[in-house]
Amino acid sequence: MSRKVVEIAGKRLSLSNLEKDLYPSYGFTKARILEYYRRIAKFILPHLKNRALTLKRYPEGVEEDFFFEKRCPPHRPEWAKTAEIRRDDGERMTVCLVNNLETLIWVENLASLELHVPLARASSPETPDFMVFDLDPGERANILDCASVALILRDLLSGLGLKGHLKTSGKKGLHMYVPLNRKDTTFEDTKKFSKAVAGIMQKNYPDLVTARMAKEYRKSKVFINWAQNDSSKTMVCVYSLRAQEKPVVSFPLSWKELERLAGKGDPGRLRILHSEALRRAEDGGDLFREVLVKKQKLPHL
Amino acid sequence: MKSHNPNLSASKSSSGREPEMIPQGIWSGTISFSLVAIPVQLVKAVDPGRVSFRMLHRDDYSPLQRRMFCPEEERIVAPDEIVKGYEIGPGKYIVMTDEELESVTPERSRTIEIIEFIDMKDVDPIYYEHPYYLVPLKGGEKAYRLLVEVLHRTNKAGLAKFVLAEREYLVAVESREGALALITLHYSEEILPDQDILPKGGKIETEEKSRMKNVIKKMMADFRPEKYADERREKILGLLKKKIKEKALVEAPEIGEEQGEGPADLIAALEESMRKVKKNR
Repeated sequence: MSRKVVEIAGKRLSLSNLEKDLYPSYGFTKARILEYYRRIAKFILPHLKNRALTLKRYPEGVEEDFFFEKRCPPHRPEWAKTAEIRRDDGERMTVCLVNNLETLIWVENLASLELHVPLARASSPETPDFMVFDLDPGERANILDCASVALILRDLLSGLGLKGHLKTSGKKGLHMYVPLNRKDTTFEDTKKFSKAVAGIMQKNYPDLVTARMAKEYRKSKVFINWAQNDSSKTMVCVYSLRAQEKPVVSFPLSWKELERLAGKGDPGRLRILHSEALRRAEDGGDLFREVLVKKQKLPHL
Repeated sequence: MKSHNPNLSASKSSSGREPEMIPQGIWSGTISFSLVAIPVQLVKAVDPGRVSFRMLHRDDYSPLQRRMFCPEEERIVAPDEIVKGYEIGPGKYIVMTDEELESVTPERSRTIEIIEFIDMKDVDPIYYEHPYYLVPLKGGEKAYRLLVEVLHRTNKAGLAKFVLAEREYLVAVESREGALALITLHYSEEILPDQDILPKGGKIETEEKSRMKNVIKKMMADFRPEKYADERREKILGLLKKKIKEKALVEAPEIGEEQGEGPADLIAALEESMRKVKKNR
């Protein structure tokens, strides 16, 4: 077993198995995963900050079993920031807060390739900072169909004075985030609102959209998963790697880019790999920044 | 993604849990006595690895929640309405607030200060609670090796008080296989008196004694713990693995999917906006 001790911001970390290939059919070692997260850190950290991290760990790589870990592993370094949260069942649970580079590298050393976080911060678990629409293509639908749905959604919401931001899920779908950043918005509000939006979309585009979870309704359609607007749910964080065959990233897209790509008929253009993600973030900055700061109020509730 | 995904780490468990993971320190600080100070990190030496389950409603697989119920008012009580009470007699309690409990919680230790050295053979194993290892940190390697060596040669252990996770432990620091081990010990008041379980007198025949000695001799073996495993755990993990392969998984229902469309004002505004969207397309 190989290990290497590094020091980040004065904190010592023992990194293990750096040469282990965690994306075997593509060829992407743990060292390169750590390097990706080191370079993307300044973009991803604001989006992880003070949110209860769910680790999705792939100790044997993306082709083997994974497991979720909601509790912060008890063998964490003493400097790792944590928060106490109350689960649905009333039990307390200690969770990790990834607020700095050293913690990010530590969780990545645990092979937590995917980073999932809730829509609310750990200190205000009932206040979502954004409303999300998780656009998930069913069988025989693809990410281009999601793009069409996203563009309609954008226009629909803009008629109500709301602006949304888009990212790829890194798998097959797209995620639209509507920033709220208001203390008085609750999950009850975002759920009610997003459900009404999904209902209207389904009613007006019945061949393209479904708002129902059950798989049999989702064939050839895009499922608008509004139920993600819940305190118990998490979404994959923007800039997180996904455990796909290749190291694909959940990456923000501008509406312009989506409009351009939506007509092209090439779903591959919406799969953004690690290297492209780094290049685009380093050149263009954080396209998802507004999600954390823009204040918007959900009307007509 | 869905929340509450089961921890199906079941994966490689028969060969031990994620063998490639290095345990990260659960605490770091220094061991010290006299003029010696060795920077170290505390890591786990054992991991019981229990398999845990969520409770689901049999009819629809909704994960169930635990709620505190007040039998007096016949209602569920919110967490902020709950206080801790120490029962001193039937229906009589002393209430303790979180602040009061915190005021007596010791500060986290920065050092493992060895108070005295003892002979490890004097420690009855009944006092052993939980084993850990101490790993040397940068700059401490030499002093660490020296302490390991000397404790090993003399068969001595350092006794210290140490606060971990809000509790103050009595710990023994000993040499084990070239490393320092830290064992939390029970306090003597935790050890239950054993007089009551000792059987009363009665003479034992020499013949009976030698017969039993013979039986034991015949059954002697080297202690090889790897021969044994928690069979129930292994079987549960095997079963889970099989069920994952068979995709025998059930999904919890989405909450509130059946409710109405939404507030009338919102629906009207959305209809209006949708009309414009369609017109412009």
